[in-house]
Amino acid sequence: MIPDKAIRLKTYLAMAWRSLFLQTSWNFERLQNLGFLFLMLPGLRRIYGQDLPADLCLRHSTYFNTHPYFASMVAGTCLRIEEKQANGIETVIDTDSFKKMVMAPFAAMGDALFWGGIRPIAAMIGLFFATQGSLWAPVVFLLLFNLPHFLFRFSGFWLGYFYELRAIEIIQRTHLPDLAIRLKEMTVVLLGVLCAYLAFKGCNHQEISSLWGFVLLPVVYLYAWIARKGVSSLFLVLLTTLSLLLLSVLFY
Amino acid sequence: MGPVEYCLTGALAMFAGVDRVAFGQFMISRPIVVGPLAGLILGDALVGLEIGMLLELLWLGRLPVGAAIPPDDTQVTLGATVLALHLEQTLTVHGMPLVLLCVLVAIPLGKFGQSFDRLARNVNDRFNTKALTALKKGDVSSMERLHLMGLGSFAFAGLATAALIIFFGFLVLSFVAPFLVDSVRHAGLGLQYSLILVGAASLLGTINVNRAVSLFSAAFTGTLLVMWLK
Amino acid sequence: MSIVLARIDSRLVHGQVLEAWVPHVKADCIVVANDEVAGVSFQRAVMEAAVPSSIKLVIGTLEEAVRILSSAELLKKRVLLLFSNSEDALELRQLGVIYDKLNLGNMHSSSGKDRYSCTIALDTEDIHNLQKIEDQGVSIVCQCVPADRERTWHKLIQTGAR
Repeated sequence: MIPDKAIRLKTYLAMAWRSLFLQTSWNFERLQNLGFLFLMLPGLRRIYGQDLPADLCLRHSTYFNTHPYFASMVAGTCLRIEEKQANGIETVIDTDSFKKMVMAPFAAMGDALFWGGIRPIAAMIGLFFATQGSLWAPVVFLLLFNLPHFLFRFSGFWLGYFYELRAIEIIQRTHLPDLAIRLKEMTVVLLGVLCAYLAFKGCNHQEISSLWGFVLLPVVYLYAWIARKGVSSLFLVLLTTLSLLLLSVLFY
Repeated sequence: MGPVEYCLTGALAMFAGVDRVAFGQFMISRPIVVGPLAGLILGDALVGLEIGMLLELLWLGRLPVGAAIPPDDTQVTLGATVLALHLEQTLTVHGMPLVLLCVLVAIPLGKFGQSFDRLARNVNDRFNTKALTALKKGDVSSMERLHLMGLGSFAFAGLATAALIIFFGFLVLSFVAPFLVDSVRHAGLGLQYSLILVGAASLLGTINVNRAVSLFSAAFTGTLLVMWLK
Repeated sequence: MSIVLARIDSRLVHGQVLEAWVPHVKADCIVVANDEVAGVSFQRAVMEAAVPSSIKLVIGTLEEAVRILSSAELLKKRVLLLFSNSEDALELRQLGVIYDKLNLGNMHSSSGKDRYSCTIALDTEDIHNLQKIEDQGVSIVCQCVPADRERTWHKLIQTGAR
């Protein structure tokens, strides 16, 4: 039997690398199941040795689906639980029920924070560079997005491993969903600024007063209302394009 | 454009396709990144940036939540960039009208990306079944191998989508572009703005924020007024 | 109180619900009716951590849910009601909670269930339950996120299991 808390830097690095492959075999049947086992393997091998029993592997490859950046935190806790059980220490919860309980809420937090909050605002800031024709645009976007991404992915494991179930209290105190909403509000403000700037540029190009730019505002409202009704942006694009092309054919 | 450029573009299609789901999610696959990268390979990063910017804004509000498969913005951007830079030489049109034409043709073709993506995930279903059987026998290394084969399915899906967009886009544009270029040029600025408009509006309409419209209006009005005063 | 969406989703509170449905139906309150979840304090804590403070989250057993839904507290709320399976949806309806449309979101496959679409797997028990709910005048539709097309569940059954 190995001593408690035996995870070494080498094990951690292997797991951090493997966390990048969480969704490699994403399938409709069990989603990220193999990815999660793949991520756990270095840790499990550290505890149980090179030859892993079949039932252990099957236990870690049940249905699993969470936000990819949160998976290493789940893996950290699961490994700690596994380690305790291997050493005969009583645990409050087993890995299977732990995974079942956290995967959907963590997915919700990650979707809101990363897909809903950080990515739009990082892209929006990148777009400002893009309107100036600056090739820094993708670099700025990648840096702004990936800093929090790496922070989460690579420190999440230790958070889960050392704090176990109490990690959720720490997460709760950071109010991530509220942070996500703040970020979204900032995105909307920046979108307003960007649209105004583009409208200004458009008016200048046509050599008319930039106050004509306000014409854009009701059109955006109308489109936003239509988009809210569930009409896809593909349809909106095609509709606008065709009508504009028709107009230009008629008038020229 | 020689074979080297085409191979590199194919490699980018696969790498970015893998970045979407299967490996890392570093967001190399976002239009704003993949556009300039494709452009860089083919000799004009700025055209790629322009395309990436339009498409990034168009799909900014779209979230990949749960098992729902979003449209393949990555390959649409890559495909549109390849088309734009290729047709520039054969059609003697360039600048915004061409960029717009390519984007408009690539977007609907991108729909096919969803079926390739679904196919990749169905293939993974088989890998999963095999991997679980291997695990039952205690064969962990087979499972690891099968898991990593998922990289192949997603890379293939990316490449196939890109190839399809480029092939059909090329066919459509070679026939249609000569007729449309004039009207696109006349409607050019309007068209460009309509794409930005749809993007902004769909973000505004779908974003989960109370008072999104008030915030947007205040920012828009303030900025435009300040620029007018200047 | 008005129920703006009743949904069967084995994942309960997750991204599709919070990011797509809540803004779409303008809900300001989520009620999770589930006996298991209501009994585990850790699970409740995780779910609460995932929901922004602007949205009220109520987690209760089926019986508690019935009481809460008719309480004065939720009188002016737009409620998004979540079940994890068809049995709970049927039982709550029989306990007197009226919803006239039921959305099937994710019903994940397990052994003995046949997959009818990417996200929906049913066994005969499920089909029986859903039929009973429909007999009470509820229209049952499959729609994962608002951007997807809405389909009646009959269409799904007719195409058969994959």
